[in-house]
Amino acid sequence: MSAFPWLSLVVFAPLVAALVLLFVPAGSRSTTRVVAIASTLVSLLGSLRVALGFDPAGGVQFRERYPLIESLGIALDLGVDGWGVSLLLLTSIIIFAGAFATWTLQERDKEFYILLLALVCGVFGVFVSLDLFVFFLFYEIAVLPMYLLIGIWGSTKKVAEAGPFRFLFRLLDVGGKEYAAMKLTLMLLLGSAFILLGILGMVDAAGGGSFSMEALASADLPRGLQLWAFPALWLGFGTLAGVFPFHTWSPDGHASAPTAVSMLHAGVLMKLGAFGVMRVGMVLLPEGAAAWAGVVGVVAVVNVVYGALSAMRQSDLKYIIAYSSVSHMGVVMLGAATLTVDGWNGAVFQMFAHGLMTGLFFALVGLVYERAHDREIGNMGGFAKAMPAVAVFFTIAGLSSLGMPGLAGFVAELLVFLGAWGGPMPWWALAGILGAWITAVYVLRAVRAIFWGQGPPERYTHLHDPRGPEWVALVVLAGCLILFGVAPRLILDDIDVATGEHLAPVTAVAAEQVTP
Amino acid sequence: MTTLSLSLAVLGMPLACFVLLALAWPLRHAGRVAGWLSAGTAVASFAASAALLARVLGGQGPLTWTVPWLVHGGRTIAELGVHVDGISASMLAVVTLVAASVQVYSLGYMASEPKPDQGRYFAWHSLFIVAMGGLVLAPDLLQLFLAWELVGLCSYLLIGFYWTKPSAGRAAVKAFWVTKFADMGLLLGLVVLYGATGAFSFEQAAPDPVTTLVPALLFVGVMGKSAQVPLHIWLPDAMEGPTPVSALLHAATMVAAGVFLVVRAYPLFEAAPALLTFMAWLGAITALVAAVTAVVQDDIKKVLAYSTCSQLGYMVAALGSGSLLGGYFHLTTHAFFKALLFLGAGAAIHAVHSNSIHDMGGLWTKTRASAVLFIAGALALAGFPLFAGFFSKDLALEELAHAGHWGPLGLLLAAAGLTAFYMTRVVAIAFFGPPSEKAAHAHEAPATMLLPMAVLGLLAVGGGLSGGTLAGLWGQPYHFALTPVGIAATLVGLGGIGLGVLRYGTRSWTGDLLPGLRAFILSGPVDRFWLGAWRQGLLPVARAVGWFDRYVIDGLINLVGVAFLDAGRRVRALQTGRAQDYVLAVLLGVVAFVAWGVVGGAG
Repeated sequence: MSAFPWLSLVVFAPLVAALVLLFVPAGSRSTTRVVAIASTLVSLLGSLRVALGFDPAGGVQFRERYPLIESLGIALDLGVDGWGVSLLLLTSIIIFAGAFATWTLQERDKEFYILLLALVCGVFGVFVSLDLFVFFLFYEIAVLPMYLLIGIWGSTKKVAEAGPFRFLFRLLDVGGKEYAAMKLTLMLLLGSAFILLGILGMVDAAGGGSFSMEALASADLPRGLQLWAFPALWLGFGTLAGVFPFHTWSPDGHASAPTAVSMLHAGVLMKLGAFGVMRVGMVLLPEGAAAWAGVVGVVAVVNVVYGALSAMRQSDLKYIIAYSSVSHMGVVMLGAATLTVDGWNGAVFQMFAHGLMTGLFFALVGLVYERAHDREIGNMGGFAKAMPAVAVFFTIAGLSSLGMPGLAGFVAELLVFLGAWGGPMPWWALAGILGAWITAVYVLRAVRAIFWGQGPPERYTHLHDPRGPEWVALVVLAGCLILFGVAPRLILDDIDVATGEHLAPVTAVAAEQVTP
Repeated sequence: MTTLSLSLAVLGMPLACFVLLALAWPLRHAGRVAGWLSAGTAVASFAASAALLARVLGGQGPLTWTVPWLVHGGRTIAELGVHVDGISASMLAVVTLVAASVQVYSLGYMASEPKPDQGRYFAWHSLFIVAMGGLVLAPDLLQLFLAWELVGLCSYLLIGFYWTKPSAGRAAVKAFWVTKFADMGLLLGLVVLYGATGAFSFEQAAPDPVTTLVPALLFVGVMGKSAQVPLHIWLPDAMEGPTPVSALLHAATMVAAGVFLVVRAYPLFEAAPALLTFMAWLGAITALVAAVTAVVQDDIKKVLAYSTCSQLGYMVAALGSGSLLGGYFHLTTHAFFKALLFLGAGAAIHAVHSNSIHDMGGLWTKTRASAVLFIAGALALAGFPLFAGFFSKDLALEELAHAGHWGPLGLLLAAAGLTAFYMTRVVAIAFFGPPSEKAAHAHEAPATMLLPMAVLGLLAVGGGLSGGTLAGLWGQPYHFALTPVGIAATLVGLGGIGLGVLRYGTRSWTGDLLPGLRAFILSGPVDRFWLGAWRQGLLPVARAVGWFDRYVIDGLINLVGVAFLDAGRRVRALQTGRAQDYVLAVLLGVVAFVAWGVVGGAG
C-alpha cells in the first residue's frame, strides 16, 4: 500500500483544474491552456509513477479507500491491477496529447477545456474504481460531457439521403452535430440503463451489503442471475465499445466531434466499454461469460469484418477512421470472448494500442481538416508535398492499424489471433486475420488518395506541417506506438499477471461446463 | 570480436544509420552525405558478415542469442534475437554483399534526384538491411515473420519512391495488398503452429492433424513473397521503383525470402510430402509461365522481373523435390547474376532515359563496359556452361530427376530454353540492334555504378564455385558431373541462344511463333482474373455492407428515435388545455380507484 494517494492525484487533478478554470476569465487563452495542460501533465506523471512503481508480482496496488455511504456499502475504493495500470497510462497519454491537439481552438475554449477535463476525470475513475457504484458514477461522468462537447464544438456534414429509411434523415436532421450528439448520448445512456440493471441485480443477489468488486467476486452469484446479468452488461458496456449492431453512434459521433474529443472518445472512451465487459461482466460473472462467450465472439467477428468492409466503403476521412475503430474494437471483444490467456492479454493490449493509434489518427485528421477544410479523400491528393510530417505520422498510424510488426497494433493482434485459435471457435482467428487484411486495403488506399499523387490542387494553398505545440501530440503518440511495439513487455508483463488473476475463475467454470 | 557482437553489428550499423537519417533531417536533406553514410554502413555491414561467415566456415558452431519478447502466464512464448549458423551466415553475406553493391551503385544512379529524396531513399535502404538481416538471422518463425512484414514495408516504400507518379503509387499499394493477402496464410500458419506446439520453432513439425495444414499455410505466404503463380502479379508492377531497388529487393534478396523460409523451416515441410509434390509442380509451372511471358516484353525491367518469377520457380521446384541445396544454391547464384542484370539494365536506362529495349539499340558501341557485364549476367542466367547459373540450375534439375518428378522437370527444361531465348533477345536488341535516336548520346556509367557491377560480374561468372562450400553447410558432398539431364539442359539452353541469335541477331529467321499467344499474354490474364475478383467480389461486398450499415442498421436506430418522437407527439394530444377534459380525467381516475378498491377488497 502506498502512503501517497497517487491514484487520487491522477484522477482528480483534471477535476481540480476544471474547477480552477471556472474562475479564469474568459478570453485568457494562454492561462486556460497552461492550467489544462499542467493538470494533464500531473496526471501523466502520476500514472507514470504508478506504472513504474507497480509491483510485477501483481494484485491490486496503490489502494485507497474512503467510505461514502456506509449503510449501502458504498466507498470511494481506488486501486489498480495490471489492466488498470496500462489503461491509466493510455488515458493520461491521450489526454496529454489531446490537450495539445486542440491548441488552436478559438470558440469558448475555456468551457471546452472544463468539460474535457471533467470527462477525463471520469475516465480515470472508471479504470481505478473497485466499487461498482463509484465505477458507474465515473462512467456517467465520462459519457455525459460528450453531449455538449459534440453539440457545441462539433462539425456538421451534409449527408446523402438514400435507403428505405430516407424519410427519417429529413425528420431527424441526420448529419448535423446536434443529431450526432443526441444519438451518441441517447444510445450510450440506454446502454447505461442496462449496466445499472446488471449491477443492481448482482449487488442484490450478493446480499445487498456492498458494491465492492472484491466482495462480488467472492459472492458466488447464482447461475440464473449470471445468465441474464452478463448479456445486460455486455450490451450496456458493449454499446460504448461499438459492438454491432449498436455501433452506429460511433461514425456520426466521431465525425462530428472536435479533434480532442474524437481522440479521447475513440482512443479511451470506447475502451471503457470493453474494459467494463471484461472487468465487470466476465470477471464477476464467470458462468455468464462462459455461457455467452460464443455469442460475444461471433458478434465480435462481425464487428471486425463488417467494420472493416464499411470503412472500405467510406470516402469521408473521419468516417473511415471511425469505422476502423468499430473494426478494431471488435478485435478487443474477440480477444475477450476467447477466454484464453493470450486472448485476454491481446484484448487489453489492443485497447492500449488502438487507443494510441486512433488518437494519433484523429489528431492527424484534425490537422488535415483544419488546413484543407475538407474531409472527402476524393478531393485530396499529393498532400505529402506540403505536409510531409503529417504524411509520415499518418502512415505510422495506418501501419499500426493494419498490424505492421514493430508497432503496438501488431502485438495486440497477434496475441488475439493466438488466443482465438485456442478459444471456443478456432475459425475466429481466420476472420480476425481477414479483417487485418481489409484494414490494409482501406488504410493504404486512404494514404495514397490523401498524400500521394500529384501536388495539391489549387484550392489547397494553406497546407502546412504541424507547428509548435501541435507536434507534441504527434510525437508522443507515434513514439509510444513504436516503443510499445518494439518492447511490448513494458506493459504486457503487468497485463499478463492481471489476466492470470482474473481468468482463473472463468476457466474453472468453463472447464466444469465442458465436463459436467 | 565475438560471433555475437559481429552479428549484432551487421544489424546495428544500418539500424543506427536509419535512425539517424530518419530523425536528423538536415542530414537527410543533405542528399549525398546521407548516401555515402548509408553506403558506408552497408559496406561495413558486409565486412562484418563476411567475417562472420569466415568464422562459421572455420568451424564455429551454431550460436543462438535471444531476448524474451512476449509472455503468457509468466512464461516466455516468443523471443527475438539472432541465430548464426552456416545457412544464416552465408545468406547474410549474400544479402549484405548485394545490398552494399546496390547502395554504392545508387550513389551514381540517384545522383540527379532532389537531395531530400536521396536522403529518404538511403534511409529506407538502411532499414531494409536491418529487416532483411533480421529475417535471415531469425531464431524462430515468429521473428522471421516480423522481419518478413518489415521487408514488405520497405518494398512498399521503395516501389512508391516516386510517390507523385500515379503508376508508382498504384504499384506500391498493389504489392502490399497482394503480399499481405498471401501473408494471411503465413500468419494463420503461425497461429495454428503455436496452437499445436506452443512455440514457433523451425525444427518442430506440427503434430497430427495439422501436419500438412501448417506448412501449407506457410507456403501461401511464400507464394506471395516469392511471386509464384497466381500471386506473382505484384512483381512486374514493382518495377515502378528505382532500378537499384528492383535489383536488391525484387530480384536478389527480398523475393528470395520465401525460398529461404522453406529452407529454414524444412522440418515442417518435410513432414508434408503431398505439399512438396505440389511445390515441385507449382514452381515448374511458374517457371514456364513467367518465362513465356518474359519473351514478349519490351520493357527491359519487365523481362527481368518475369525472369525473376521464373527463376524463383526453379528454386521452389527444387525445394519441392526435397533438395535444400538445389534451391539454396540457385538462390545464391541468382542473387548475384540477377542483381547484376538489373544494375546493368539500370545503367542502360540511365544512358537512354527509357525502359524500352528498342530505345537502347546499339548501346554496345557506346557503353562497352556495362554491356560486357550485362552479357556476362545474361549468360549466367541462360545457363551457359561454366557460368554460375549453369551449375546451380543443373543441380536443381538433377535433383528433380533424382526425386522422379519428371513432369516438373520437363516444364523446367522448356523454361530453360525460353530463358536463354529471351535473354538473347534482350541482348541482341538492346546492345546490337539498330541504333536508336535515344542511344545516340549515351554515355558510360560513372565508376560508382561500374565498380559494384564488376564485383557482381565476377560472382556471376565464378559463383558456381560456391557449390562445394554451400553443400558443406548441410554436410553433403558436392561433385559436379554432367548427367543426361545436365546435358539436355545445356543443349536446350544453347539451342535457345541459337534461336535468339537467328531471330533477333542475324534476322535470318523472322517467323513469329503463335501470334495469338502473344496477344493473350500481353493482355495479362492472371491480372485480369484478380482484377475481376476485386471489382466483382470485394468492392461490391464492401459497398453493400456500407450501404446496409448506413441505411438499414442505422435506419432502424433512427426509426426508434422517430418512433419515440412520434409517441411523444401523440401523448401530447392528451394535454388539450381544456379544464373539462382534465376534470373528466380526474373523475375517471377516482372511479377507477374506487372500483379497484372494491374489487380488490372483495377478492
